[in-house]
This record gives sequence, C-alpha cells and structure tokens, in this order.
Amino acid sequence: MKKLIIISFLILTWANTVLAAGNQYQLQVAGLACPFCAYGIEKKLSSIKGVENTQVDVASGVVIVTMAEGVELKEKAAREKVKKAGFSLRSFSRK
Amino acid sequence: MNSKNIKKYLYRLFLVVIALIVLIWLFFIPSSKEPDYVFDMSWGTAGKAAGEFHDPTGIAVFKNEVFVSDARNARIQVFDLNGHFKRQFGSKGDGPGQLGRPMNLTIANNELYVADYWNDRIEVFGLDGKPHRDIGHTGTGPGEFSSPGGVAVANNGDLYVADFYGQRIQHLDANGTFIGQWGNTGKIGITAGKFNYPTDVAIAKNGMIYVADGYNDRIQVFNANGEFVRKWGGPFASNIWGPFNGWFATVTSINFDKKDNVYVADFYNNRIQKFSPEGVFLTSLGHRGTGQGEFEKAIAVAVADDGSVFAVDFANNRIQKWRQKQE
Repeated sequence: MKKLIIISFLILTWANTVLAAGNQYQLQVAGLACPFCAYGIEKKLSSIKGVENTQVDVASGVVIVTMAEGVELKEKAAREKVKKAGFSLRSFSRK
Repeated sequence: MNSKNIKKYLYRLFLVVIALIVLIWLFFIPSSKEPDYVFDMSWGTAGKAAGEFHDPTGIAVFKNEVFVSDARNARIQVFDLNGHFKRQFGSKGDGPGQLGRPMNLTIANNELYVADYWNDRIEVFGLDGKPHRDIGHTGTGPGEFSSPGGVAVANNGDLYVADFYGQRIQHLDANGTFIGQWGNTGKIGITAGKFNYPTDVAIAKNGMIYVADGYNDRIQVFNANGEFVRKWGGPFASNIWGPFNGWFATVTSINFDKKDNVYVADFYNNRIQKFSPEGVFLTSLGHRGTGQGEFEKAIAVAVADDGSVFAVDFANNRIQKWRQKQE
C-alpha cells in the first residue's frame, strides 16, 4: 500500500510538472532596462487572452509566459505585444 | 604610406584622442562641490510580511513618516524615520483603494498620490491609508494614462503626470480634467521638450517643473507655462548615458530638499545624484553592491526635513538612509 501511494504521488508530480512545462513559453527580449520595462512587458503580455502568468528577468531579458490549459500562445501575438511594450522579440520557444 | 608616416599619423591620432578625453573631462565631468553623504542605516528584506518588500519602487517622506511603494505586494508601507514599521494599506486589484503596481509617490495637502502603473490611474489616499479618489483611466487621449510612473501636485492642486508609454507629461486640474501636455503622445523624442519614457515629475517651490526623462538619461525643466527652461545629463543632455558625475544611466525618480536642491535616482549607476536647482552637480551617494551603503539599482529617492536622504534599493529590497557629513 505504501509503495502504491509513493508511486501514485511520483506519477502525479511528474504529470503536473510535464503539463505545466508544456504550457509555458520562453521569450528572449532585447533592450529590457529597468522595472518600468519589465512591468510594461508583463502588462502588455497579460492582455493576451489565456495568459495566466508572466515572469520577467530583466538582467537576462528572458520572459516566461504561462498559458491557461489548452490555450496556445501565438508567436505573432507575442511579438506584437513585445513591440508595443517598446522592445523587440529575439526568440520564441515553447518550454 | 611608409612606416615613418604611419607612426607620425598614429602619434597625431593619439594626441587628438588625448585632447578629446581632456576636453570631455573638463567640460562634461564635474567634480563634487559638497561634503560626502555617509550611510546611516537600512531596513527591509525580500518578502511579503510587514517591513518586507517585493520590488520597492517609490518613496515619499512627510514629517516623521516614510511612505514606500511595495510594487509587487501591491501596497504602501509606512515607517518612522528609523525604519520601524507603522502601518500598511492597499491590496492587489483595481477596485477603490486597490493597487496594481504602485510606483513613484507624492504627498501634498495631507494626501498621498500614487502613480499606479498597472491600473493606469493616480490613486489618492489619506495619510492614514483611507482611499479618497482615483484619477484617470487607460488610454492615450487627454486625461488618460498609459502606465503612469510619477505625479507632482502644484500649490493650486493641479497635477502633472509622467505618462510612461504616453511619452508625455500631462497637466490636469485637481479633478483630473485635462489642461495640456508636453511631448507627442506615444512618440519618443530626444530634442528639448520631448520624452523617452518619462518616469517621474516634481515641482520646486518656485513652480518650476522637473521631469525625470527616463531613457533619455536626463532631467528636463519647464516653467509653469510649460515652456522648456533647461536640461542636463551627459554631453548636451541628448541621450548619452555614462557613469560619470552628472551623467545618468536611466533616471527613475526625482525629488527636492528644502532648498530645492534636486536629487535623482540614477538606476543603472546604482547611486543618487544631487544637483543645485540649476542642474549643477553637487555630489552623489552609493555604488553597486549588496553591503551597507551599496545599491543593487537605486530606483527612488526622497529627502526628510532634516536633510536625511532616503533611497530605495530596488533589487536588494530595502530602504537606505543617508546623512551629509558636516564640513
């Protein structure tokens, strides 16, 4: 019984991690300078339907966008919002 | 060209470069004209509890209280002048009295004005934290905001708002009715009177309006009629950043002391710079680091009546207090 609980827990943890990671996108943004920029990027990307969370690392210029389950982030939409925030999108990938 | 000519050419080039460096040093890098400031104390660490911060971004001092924008915790925290926590107000949201990302702060007529970057409005609170009213909403039209970073209040109650993405300073009456603006809406400019992501604005006792022109790495000054008066920050104040005295690397906050000396948060240079009202460099405080008296991005500044300087140390999630050495 104990083994079964441990195995179930591990499977659930693995599934949760994989599913969550599958709905995240990594954007490389050029020109981020300060919190005003970081908040700007967050604000613009958050206005896309289905965006659940946006994390910005100003130093590296990496933005991680988490989408709601089953919702895809289109590169075109992300590029447009990054441009509106005053920056340019260098790369776009699904994590 | 033979080797003798090349050597001659290089020697002349070397002399020209040296002469240029000397000229830049003489004309564009002023020396300190005041005693240094010394680190007094600091408080705060990363977190959500009272006295902790998650991205502190703005500061105001009134009498014996220090008000701090705690941006990602969506609240204002209030301390005494020695960093002892007194109270907090605001919560995450866009309802009355709620905050998105509070940025630079101003206190006028016993009210606290908060530039709310996320909710595109100016929130006005009593100093006790009671919500009074909010001004403006999202947009690019007259009286609308696109991520306001700072606000100043004139003696007659008029507001001047640094509209970050709007690339303009908006002049509103006390009720938020549009009176005028400087800068072209949504258009970046580097000539006098134009802006490149303005972050903050402050009004001197003589009515002159000082703007932290964020990514132009300069301060611009206007008279009460909105006419451009002067600018400073690097050579010709024309978007040239640098680490030298009087130069900036992204300006994020501006404030005055009782004599109308100007204090500027110089974000990427990890310091606060102090200038005369005319823009003459006086002194600076701080450098990069995590130790005492060091900044990991200086984002905001305010000055107490006794001359103590309070600075927001953004990435170290703390507030620093400095005082000037006696001559």
